[in-house]
Amino acid sequence: MAKHMHEIRDPLHVFIRLDSNERKVLKTRPFQRLRHIHQLGLTYLLYPGATHRRFEHSLGVMELAGRVYDTVTDPSNISHESVKNVVPAHNSYEHPYWRRVLRMAALCHDIGHLPFSHSAEDLLPDGWDHERLTLEIIRSDELEPIWKEIKIQSDDVAKLAVGPKKYKDSAFTDWEAILSEIIVGDAFGVDRMDYLIRDSHHVGVAYGKFDHYRLIDTMRILPKEEGGSAEPALGIEEGGLHSAEALVLARYFMYTQVYYHHVRRIYDIHLRDFLKKWFPGGYLPIDVEEHLKMTDNEISVDLFKAARHEEHPGHDSARRIIDREHFKLWYQRNPNDIQKNPEAGKLIFDAARKKFGEANMRFDTYKQKGSGLNFPILIDGRISSSLAMSEVLKTVPIVAVDYVFINPDYRKEAEKWLKEEREKIITKKEVEKI
Amino acid sequence: MKRLQRDAVILSLIENLRAKGSWCGETHIQKATYFVQELLRVPLEFEFVLYKHGPYSFDLSDELTAMRADALLKLQPQLYPYGPSFIHGRGSKLIKKRYPKTLKKYNPMVKFIANKLGDKGVTELERLATALYVTREIETDNSIEARAQCIHKLKPHVSLDEARDAVNVLDNFIEESQDI
Repeated sequence: MAKHMHEIRDPLHVFIRLDSNERKVLKTRPFQRLRHIHQLGLTYLLYPGATHRRFEHSLGVMELAGRVYDTVTDPSNISHESVKNVVPAHNSYEHPYWRRVLRMAALCHDIGHLPFSHSAEDLLPDGWDHERLTLEIIRSDELEPIWKEIKIQSDDVAKLAVGPKKYKDSAFTDWEAILSEIIVGDAFGVDRMDYLIRDSHHVGVAYGKFDHYRLIDTMRILPKEEGGSAEPALGIEEGGLHSAEALVLARYFMYTQVYYHHVRRIYDIHLRDFLKKWFPGGYLPIDVEEHLKMTDNEISVDLFKAARHEEHPGHDSARRIIDREHFKLWYQRNPNDIQKNPEAGKLIFDAARKKFGEANMRFDTYKQKGSGLNFPILIDGRISSSLAMSEVLKTVPIVAVDYVFINPDYRKEAEKWLKEEREKIITKKEVEKI
Repeated sequence: MKRLQRDAVILSLIENLRAKGSWCGETHIQKATYFVQELLRVPLEFEFVLYKHGPYSFDLSDELTAMRADALLKLQPQLYPYGPSFIHGRGSKLIKKRYPKTLKKYNPMVKFIANKLGDKGVTELERLATALYVTREIETDNSIEARAQCIHKLKPHVSLDEARDAVNVLDNFIEESQDI
């Protein structure tokens, strides 16, 4: 007899179970390609264990999305009338339909990722990002026949896979908004849950770990009753508060210690410089067929070649990666300068590249998106804001970095120059234009 | 508008909303900014989609977080069971001083919206902002009934009567805003 359920071993979730329909998606070329896209780009040059791929992360996100769906739609976990009106009844056609759509969306949410994940994102033409490529692939000739065969709408999968921030074709109903929050939500999105735990495991740091079992078990759909609105949102029961705090702290530590580690960032910049020379016109292709042909493997082969051949246009950037001769961190954001000018880092970079040359300076900046701190929490039958209940959440810092990197040959000279020029640069008066 | 110039306008909006008694949680700022940008055409260039409590901008949400990182804003916890308010941070004075012409130019728009929305809670702001979204973005015959039906369809927890009231109030706002 044919088997309808299948298991895949996973270092975090032990067994990831999927049905035959989900396996059809797994077997497609776009999904199999994710076996060859490193989850953390070139981070393995810094943390050697970080060689895991988007493939296993996508499976993990599907597994967790299913678990959250089963918890939050369990009738014994729904106590508010306004929520009962939003969640499909257990015996309805819609209930298993949306479970299937959610798991498929979770499985496909990263399917548009570029080689080396985020490193090359800036090289897409204006208006394009990996989420838009994800939408294109979900609606492509490769996947559309599968959606038809299993009777789900590709647009439903697409909508939940990228969420309201990236899906512009139609507005989200309250139910669709909650389902997309399960995957890409700022507070409890399972995408974030899986990548924090998985990256932490492979990188070899403990920062990203938190009790996701407890957290998922306490997740609920609750009306966000601030100011009396009955609009439902994803929240937790009181017992999950400490796990939620641990998730927020895990995010803070992983961003500061791993994702925005300055050496990891400069490798990304060198890779981007290399890719700019590698792709015709300096842009990555947006055609689905061309996109599917590109993995980390093709680029790695050429990266090695370029590093060994001085005449290759990407030689300098490739050599800096392969021979580990990356630019060095020369200036970083600090509270004193930010107090005088929030754009101090950018101004120092602009002045330095004029002085030492465009080719010898690189700039990197990032500020945390969203905050994920304010969610509804059910305590003693009342709903309140998590920020009213948690002293920890109130004090979690915002992740913000400004890094200026320099060609090591100029480092000493530049340090001396910055000592003399710093105040003048960051306090220069701006001409206001309106 | 440059990023910090835009932040100066947001800071001014928060200051004026608070002066009118607003609690200034994220939803209050989101909806007031939507009105300033879409009704009074202040070029803040945030992209709004229909999402949490009506029109919502992920860019604006990110910008509020960025402003906290730059000490232009900070969160002030509120008493149980409410969420936090946004208040000016220690860097806010510097930014306001840096863009006097910008603030002067947009002051009438910011004041008008703060006067109209400063005393409103989340529920009312949700209805009014959704009414403006429906009026501007969704094709209807523009009658009160058609727009109210549309609001109710998009946000089922808003009753038809509540939606009709919101459309009426909005139409008055639009008329009064012609003088700004």
